[in-house]
Amino acid sequence: MRNTPAPSAVSVAGLRKHYGATEALRGVTFEVGAGQIFGLLGPNGAGKTTVLECILGLRQPDSGAIHVHGLDLRTHAAQAKLLTGAQLQGAALQDKITPRQALELFGAFYANPYSAGELLGRFDLGAKADLPFATLSGGQRQRLFLALALVNRPTLLVLDEPTAGLDPQARRTLRTMIRELQTEGRTVLLSTHDLEEAGQLCDQLAILDQGRIIATAPPAELIAGAQAPSRLTVRTAPPLARAGIEALPGVLACTQDGDTWTLDTQSPNRLLAELVRRADEAAAELLGVELRRPSLEDVFLELTGRPWAGAAQPGDAS
Amino acid sequence: MMSGLLHHLLLVLNLSFRNPQGIVYGYLVPVIFLFAFGSIFRADTPPLLDHMGQIMTITILGGACFGLPTALVAERELGIWRRYRLLPVPTAWLVFSTMLARALIVASSVLVQLALARAIFGTPLPTHPGAALLAFLFVTAAFLGLGYLIAGLADNVPAVQAIGQCIFLPMIMLGGVGVPLMALPLWAQRVAGFMPGRYAVEVLQPCFQAPSPLRGAAFRLGALTVIGLAAGVAGTKLFRWEPGRRSGSARIWVTAALAAWAAVGAIAWQTGQLKPVLAQAGAWSEITEAQIAEITFDNLPNDNDIVASLAPPTLDPAATADLAPKLAAWPPGRLDDAGQSIRHLVALAAIADLSADPREAVLARLIFRQINTEFAPAEARQALAWIILSPEDGQIIRKAPELALYRHPPERLVRQRSVIYAQKYLGRLLRKLPE
Repeated sequence: MRNTPAPSAVSVAGLRKHYGATEALRGVTFEVGAGQIFGLLGPNGAGKTTVLECILGLRQPDSGAIHVHGLDLRTHAAQAKLLTGAQLQGAALQDKITPRQALELFGAFYANPYSAGELLGRFDLGAKADLPFATLSGGQRQRLFLALALVNRPTLLVLDEPTAGLDPQARRTLRTMIRELQTEGRTVLLSTHDLEEAGQLCDQLAILDQGRIIATAPPAELIAGAQAPSRLTVRTAPPLARAGIEALPGVLACTQDGDTWTLDTQSPNRLLAELVRRADEAAAELLGVELRRPSLEDVFLELTGRPWAGAAQPGDAS
Repeated sequence: MMSGLLHHLLLVLNLSFRNPQGIVYGYLVPVIFLFAFGSIFRADTPPLLDHMGQIMTITILGGACFGLPTALVAERELGIWRRYRLLPVPTAWLVFSTMLARALIVASSVLVQLALARAIFGTPLPTHPGAALLAFLFVTAAFLGLGYLIAGLADNVPAVQAIGQCIFLPMIMLGGVGVPLMALPLWAQRVAGFMPGRYAVEVLQPCFQAPSPLRGAAFRLGALTVIGLAAGVAGTKLFRWEPGRRSGSARIWVTAALAAWAAVGAIAWQTGQLKPVLAQAGAWSEITEAQIAEITFDNLPNDNDIVASLAPPTLDPAATADLAPKLAAWPPGRLDDAGQSIRHLVALAAIADLSADPREAVLARLIFRQINTEFAPAEARQALAWIILSPEDGQIIRKAPELALYRHPPERLVRQRSVIYAQKYLGRLLRKLPE
């Protein structure tokens, strides 16, 4: 994965958008380096889709500026469209249209599109090329939408929740395909509310909450900066004595549930070594050890004060 | 870009033909309507000829008010128009392409109807294909405008059906589209003047019969254009490319579109375009006094003008001594059918006038005198009203060698001039015109 800052593929500055009385975006600012996979991470209703739709020209922001490869959307939206491919959230096609027809149709609007056959092969849709859209599985449909996004050979791909609703296998396949797009030198700007996906796929993340960007950094950097402790869970037979556990160096908090101890610490390596030593001394057998490092979920909790799961957005307006 | 639009047009057609529902509504239902009309009017000779305008209008109306908006709204609900918005082509072009595809589908459906009517019922094809095509284009464009407006108003596909029926059913029942105008009471015929369906039938039907189908159809074509344009503009203002509720300005734009209907109807009423339509084929005797009372006598030429001259009532007997007995004995004026006899007599006045015969004014006066004396007053009123209200009905003569009228002016002119003389005569019978 590339973390090196690169020339900006997308530049968003001070973006504001209202839907009636609801303020969906409150001055969103971020930069997407060329060749990056940039993730907009946020819970449902955070404003991710609105940001992407403004970049795609589907929505007119109330204020703020957007540049795509240096082109100001206020004056060069048509040129920017030619450089951009998109996969929209919740998109569908006519029930009877075939993948080949769809690719030929959308490709026909561009000067130098990929051929339908090329894209069908690349996205493993050859066997379904002439079957109606209604017969495609969720994963096949998403692959088709990714192919449609690529039909005009764009340098920027905007993907709105590309893996939402897919089974794990389909998610893995699609993530692989998205990484391949990056290796071809394309920039990928995607939105997701999947923390695991954001952490694994993106070079750079912007966390969006209630219409504001609250953090922007590579995922590892965000996690490294988190103050949350690591959590060590140890199971022994017989259980370790409370006095011994509480006296261990670096333990910030501990709870016991039968034969299992859960310990919070900022120095998990040292604590784990000490725990193993104490278990040996007490002739206790280790039945299980689990270490959970701080995650993006912890980052979100730290930044917003709300847990990720069920992080409802006031005036939900995605 | 043109390649893209052509692809889109062909794709819309392709998908329509692969959609069973589209086939049912686009082709099967129009054929059912054809057979329904065929069974009702099977006794006509030739069958269905007098109703082909209605049948075509129903097909176009159905394709435009249901087919087009259903396709647009269904695609909008699926997010397809959101996807189209990302293309480097104005959305309006894709809307146009969709409408063009619908027009082609409707045209093919109409052709199927014409072919089946010809093959099964022996109904003649349009006598003027060029005029029929032009009339079809006007009607289709106007109704597609309405369909486009419905698409802007409807939040979902079921709403298309509801709104479409609000337009479709009144036109079928009261607009002269389903129930023929002649079968409607006078008040309903006037109401029909406020609906585009009446004008659609009135421009399509003559293409099957009249010698010059679109002559004199300027008002009707204009009415269709105004109504279609108003709906198209309102539809454009209310067009939505993504699902969601319509804008708050919908009422304003619907009002604007309906204002075009009202304006067309009001102008038609004021300018005498909404004449009562009568039952055809010798039904002059069924004309009612109420229908006669509707006839106006404005803007008639003076009796001493070149057009439709009429001598004063006091004629010199010496000047008419030769002409009067010949007229009294003239066979076409003495048929068993009083209505047709009077039509022949009035046509005689028209021929003399069109031929610039020196006896034109005297002959016209003698004819009026003969109508007055030889026919019952009620019959005379009905027959003259029939000539005015149904100028294309009945037989018409174009020469009368028995009366030394050898020139035969075009039938169209004879019928037009007959209307003017009939108005002059009827106005006098009703004492609405001075002698």
